[in-house]
Amino acid sequence: MTDITAAPVRKGLSEDWRAILTGSVASISITFIAVIAIGWFWVGPKFLSFGNVSIMGTFLIVPLIVGAFSGFALLSGVVDLSIGSMVAFSSALFALLISLGWDPATTAVVTLVACLCFGGINAIAIVGFGAEPIAATLGMLVALRGIAWVLLGSQGTIFAFNIDMFNLISLQLFGLPLFFLVAIALTVVAALIVTRTRAGRHVQAVGGDDKAAARAGISVRGVRVAALLLSSFGAGLGGIVYAAQLGSAARATGFGLEFQVYAALMIGGYSILRGGVGNPIGGALGLLAVAGVSNILDLKAISPYYVNIIVGLLLLAAVLLDRIRGGDAYE
Amino acid sequence: MSVTPAIETAAPAVPLKVRLGGWGTGLMLLAVWLLLIVATGLYRQDFLSHQTLLAVTFTMAVVGVLAIGQGLVAISGGFIDLSQPANMILASLVAVRLSEAGMPLAVVIVGAILSGMLWGALNAAIVVFARLNPVIVTLATNFIGLAVLFLVFQLAEVPLNSEIYQFGRASFLGLPAIFWPMLALVLIVGLLMPRTRYGRRAIAVGGNKAAAKARGISLKLTRFAIFTIAGGFVGFASVLFAATAGPFNPGSANTLQLNIIAGVILAGISLAGGRGNFWMLLLSVGFLSTIPTSLVFFGLSSDTQSIFQGFILIIAVAIDGWRARKGTP
Repeated sequence: MTDITAAPVRKGLSEDWRAILTGSVASISITFIAVIAIGWFWVGPKFLSFGNVSIMGTFLIVPLIVGAFSGFALLSGVVDLSIGSMVAFSSALFALLISLGWDPATTAVVTLVACLCFGGINAIAIVGFGAEPIAATLGMLVALRGIAWVLLGSQGTIFAFNIDMFNLISLQLFGLPLFFLVAIALTVVAALIVTRTRAGRHVQAVGGDDKAAARAGISVRGVRVAALLLSSFGAGLGGIVYAAQLGSAARATGFGLEFQVYAALMIGGYSILRGGVGNPIGGALGLLAVAGVSNILDLKAISPYYVNIIVGLLLLAAVLLDRIRGGDAYE
Repeated sequence: MSVTPAIETAAPAVPLKVRLGGWGTGLMLLAVWLLLIVATGLYRQDFLSHQTLLAVTFTMAVVGVLAIGQGLVAISGGFIDLSQPANMILASLVAVRLSEAGMPLAVVIVGAILSGMLWGALNAAIVVFARLNPVIVTLATNFIGLAVLFLVFQLAEVPLNSEIYQFGRASFLGLPAIFWPMLALVLIVGLLMPRTRYGRRAIAVGGNKAAAKARGISLKLTRFAIFTIAGGFVGFASVLFAATAGPFNPGSANTLQLNIIAGVILAGISLAGGRGNFWMLLLSVGFLSTIPTSLVFFGLSSDTQSIFQGFILIIAVAIDGWRARKGTP
């Protein structure tokens, strides 16, 4: 973990060991390798075959995009729970406009602008009025789900199949979905921004200690507004990809996605309660690990509900690690 | 969360001197609620009927009892209990199984409450011993709990004409029978919280835990007690839910969650802990429970309900945040 928020310095010989075992990307890397090893031994080589990875990749495009963008909000210390409904809203609006005969490019722009507007409302409530981010974005989650359902109408589904979009989204490169690779590339870019640029360090600083960041001359409000807008932009993008992939939008689209994504991001080293920790690579590995677990259970024909049990346990383990790593102990 | 320091500094300087305040909140809520009733009544005369009263009080019952539990967690600084849906479905299942076994209503109620308390204690154990934030702990236990419940059952329902079934359909003094226990509980909790030692301790822990600790209040014991008691309220809410819901599945309680959090925030029970008046829950829950019926009379689809509830919640937390920032609780 490269951060400038300077984790409390503890003197001791075990310091190095502690860092290796509890560093933010270290723990998720171990989990990720463990998932691959279990898959390899239990399911067999077909677990890592191009065909199987390709299937996982197709389902991972949207979570990876959404996770990469909403990670900035987490890093700056404002969790955005509305992303799942934002995906639903975006896919509904996109599908609706496409079904009305709009051109895909214009529709995408309009959809993204609409999502940014709702992200702006989040920002006004949280940054402008000082609303508690969890509660405010929970409200947005409910409101946007309602708006998405109203857009979908009494049928509950809008079919908007567009062969060009479908062909684009289904493109393959090296036997893997092109957009899966694009989403991975996006994650790497996000990681570089976070760790290597001034803007990224500002985001971490604001999330780590907003008062200190303000004293250092960083615009705390500006960073948080930008982070919330990025988060809604990413969710909007995710919704458009969903609509293109499925050729439709339905009431279930994006339902509960926020908890899936955040559980995976927390397993990957982010914290939804304090900013400044986590890294997009770790978050992506968290998503891949969870997808791996559900794929293994799927191939072994085990009930998918066990995925949630495993995710819940991993989540508790991850926050425990976060606390040991220097996170706030709760009393 | 990073905004809590600002809120903590805004907490009363003398934490044990409990504020009864928030009557302004009450008047505002009452005004908004009346506005909604009058507006709907003007649009459709038949809104002002006994039927509407029945619908609203019926909705209020389960939400109100759950809101007491949520309010207890919030006021004592536990922020939010996100595992209420899993807790409620488990306790409802206990209630269904007990009534299927032919147990009397009293046993069914006690069983459900104990189930709820056990769940609360489990959450508290993780929170206290692992020293983890309740929001994440309850998020995880809700995940795990609902998944296990889905593995255990798909659909459950109290037996037709069992005692609990009759209770769910009975009425008393012209209102649904399930409304009265909710009313009594809100009044009792609202009365006891600021006036008893234990109530004041819980509020003090939520307001300023360092000061509470310095005064010799055990944070761990308080957390344990609060989560267990709040779980007990969820258990009792499950009785009302199981009695009236008809067939339910493990996902049936998910939609209640947000209404309850909205109710608690609107009532002025701060999510940052330390202040709030439980009597206000009657107004906030009443207002929120009137919205669905109102919308039907305005001819709007039930989907629009979430739009209103969502934006009301955003406005409420924005006001809550604004007040905390200005330091005028």
